[in-house]
Amino acid sequence: MVNKGLLETDILPNVSQPARYTGHELNARVGDHIGAEATMLLAFPDVYEVGMSYIGFKILYDIVNSNQAWAAERAFAPWPDMEAQMRAHGVPLYSLETYTSARDFDLMGFTLQYELTYSNVLCMLELAGIPARADERGEGDPIVIAGGPCASNPEPMAPFFDLVVVGDGEEAIADIMRATAQGKRDGASRADIVSRLAEIAGVYSPSLANRVERRVVADLDSAEYPRKFVVPFLEAVHDRVALEVMRGCSRGCRFCQAGMIYRPVRERGTANLCELAEALVRSSGYEELSLLSLSSADYTQVKELMSKLASKYGPEGIAVSLPSLRVDSFSIALARDAEKSRRTGLTFAPEAGTQRMRDIINKGVTEDDLMSAAADAFESGWDQIKLYFMIGLPFETFEDIDGIASLSRQVLELGRKVAKARGKARRAGVNVSVSSFVPKPHTPFQWFAQNSREQLEHKQLYLKERMRVRGLSVSFHDVRASHLEAAFARGDRRLAPVIQRAVQLGCRFDGWSEQFKPGLWHQAFADLDLDPSMWANAEYGLDDPLPWDHINMGVSREFLVREAQRAARGVTTPDCREASCSGCGACSGDVRVRLAGEFAASSRQGGGRA
Amino acid sequence: MSASMRFRVRLGKGDEMRFVSHLGYMRAFERAVRRARIPVAYSLGYHPHPKISFATALGVGMTSEAEYLDIELNLADSGELSTLEVFELLQAATPQGMPVIAACAAHGKPALASSIEWASYRANVQASIQPDLERAATELLASESAIAEINTKSGRRRADIRPMVRNISWRSGGVLECTLACGGRAHLRPQDLLAHLGLIGACVYRTGLYFTDRESGDLVSPMSVECTDLVMAMGFRPGELTRGS
Repeated sequence: MVNKGLLETDILPNVSQPARYTGHELNARVGDHIGAEATMLLAFPDVYEVGMSYIGFKILYDIVNSNQAWAAERAFAPWPDMEAQMRAHGVPLYSLETYTSARDFDLMGFTLQYELTYSNVLCMLELAGIPARADERGEGDPIVIAGGPCASNPEPMAPFFDLVVVGDGEEAIADIMRATAQGKRDGASRADIVSRLAEIAGVYSPSLANRVERRVVADLDSAEYPRKFVVPFLEAVHDRVALEVMRGCSRGCRFCQAGMIYRPVRERGTANLCELAEALVRSSGYEELSLLSLSSADYTQVKELMSKLASKYGPEGIAVSLPSLRVDSFSIALARDAEKSRRTGLTFAPEAGTQRMRDIINKGVTEDDLMSAAADAFESGWDQIKLYFMIGLPFETFEDIDGIASLSRQVLELGRKVAKARGKARRAGVNVSVSSFVPKPHTPFQWFAQNSREQLEHKQLYLKERMRVRGLSVSFHDVRASHLEAAFARGDRRLAPVIQRAVQLGCRFDGWSEQFKPGLWHQAFADLDLDPSMWANAEYGLDDPLPWDHINMGVSREFLVREAQRAARGVTTPDCREASCSGCGACSGDVRVRLAGEFAASSRQGGGRA
Repeated sequence: MSASMRFRVRLGKGDEMRFVSHLGYMRAFERAVRRARIPVAYSLGYHPHPKISFATALGVGMTSEAEYLDIELNLADSGELSTLEVFELLQAATPQGMPVIAACAAHGKPALASSIEWASYRANVQASIQPDLERAATELLASESAIAEINTKSGRRRADIRPMVRNISWRSGGVLECTLACGGRAHLRPQDLLAHLGLIGACVYRTGLYFTDRESGDLVSPMSVECTDLVMAMGFRPGELTRGS
């Protein structure tokens, strides 16, 4: 255990947001972990408020802790002020539940949700006193494992992990805990336990560089889901009951990694969801309940579910919300029903400015869709609309960028007209957020190069100039950060020493603009005679071997090739829920599209516990 | 009885929550109320808020056995709730570090927050510096004015703190107790008094909040004025939430 007295008197009074580091939240696991047969430190390489918003982390925490013999505790990346204090006082990374040093856990499991958290992984290992590279670890060191969406190309970080879990974590984590406990009972060595864990399906061993097929939960409705959330004292980014209504999305946007690697669409039944909602609302006391998925308006019974939940919880002052809106009137109607009293802003993601470009990326949204959705939104009383676009997409021309400007202005003008007609004093406003395309593994765009930094900067300036209009505000993502993100996303093991060097130089929290230090990253690459554009701006041929070829995420290479070729011809591919099967390869055996209707009849008392 | 009723609640802030901000502490209480399914009344308007008002904020890092709040309930649908019922529902729902110490029905008109004038605190003092501190305290109490550096909402400034110090006394075992101005009209943070006396970085524990009785000038508890049906936690011992060190 770390010295709690020292923390309380000499450290926590001197850092910002000390409640990030003290635990004791409602529903956090209590009690000792010394008697546990296997212990896991769930480590999130970002700050507490971000990590506590991530549903995958809550699911894993719940699964491990629902078994009396196991213990999962949490650690987040300390903010630089806390890191400095910990180093100054010799306090190692510790768990929030029992203040146990990270080194004393059997397993340490990192969530890789975003490439720009990689530096924090190494910083956390260093604070834990665990050697950064797996081949430097020995008896007594925790077995360090990674999972999460970025594990679909683990190579840039591979040398730092003993093992990597690919795909859905629900079943894999239980297998890992069980095998670890067994290994300890058998008196197996650390190396022996690592090789036993490497036998588990969906587990990749960087030292063996084995081929691996992702784990996938065939039936989400009977998969475990927490009935209690840890309720933070600090306001988390998403501080509410999140009800995962489905996993996967088959709309098929060609740039979207989540839309590919979580296929097929697997819904939960409404009876199960209502019961989970009730348990979570009562055990948390949250004032908001939100339907979570990649595209919740696509949940087949969204209307029924929303109205059921809204009529049940609305009178108690609990808002029901839908975070991911589609660009259509159906979504606006849902949002209108949900947000009776909280008119903040609405967000739409047309992603591209012209129909040609939206066809290339397979974003099934037309200008008419957007304009009618925006009209509905303005008429329903929203006066601030946020639009998401991307620049630097494959085959982009300046006409497509012009399209972003003109579409945004059209939406603004529409808002003004509606505001005027309604005699509203408040002016309509449109906020446009423009990110730069980052090619991601396991997508049809994985072969395409990201635009060079110069190109992206030029396009940003160009677009900015076209958008200087009162009522329109534009924000851009930092090109240097997107460039680094692309390098890590498409990178290989040569990047590992660069990341290690950058952490040595002081890089941390690269996803936070005020912490991002592009100069130090530049130096880290230069020190190793490398350049991020070797990966970010490399155009891969359709037949080239890719650094993530050995990771099978379900969708087949043939499908991705086909989709890349259709993109080049500007041909769209319809959603397999509405048209015929597009042959993506994600369905096999038990794994298939499962819609809520399947589960309608079964009103389960056990709430989906297997 | 009317459909709306006001209760006054006394909470503690234990070690587990000492580094939680006042906002976080309030939010945690609101969520406890929702878990307890107590029919709290909501404000009208676009953003309805539960009608819960805390007496005063407690600085981050401090613990307390005297966090008072008023909560208004809407009993139109649920029917009457006794103080004991409210007390027990809350006690079962609050998180670790937020013990419910007492509850009563509140009838008085003046708002809780604007009536608080004084707060009492306790701090442990190491034996080695206690004599110096005692001397400084005696000197302060004997003087007419004492200019000190203090922290206010608008930053650091120099001010006469003497009128804001009502009392300083000592308990056995090197425990300093003081009663300081608290609230909107005049406010002195205990850390500023302690720093002036020569003690920095002490763990401070709030032991009470008080109104001033207009006639006698005495300090009275927020639960002794126009309050009825007081319920007190069984086995509550003053000082139990403080840290030993």
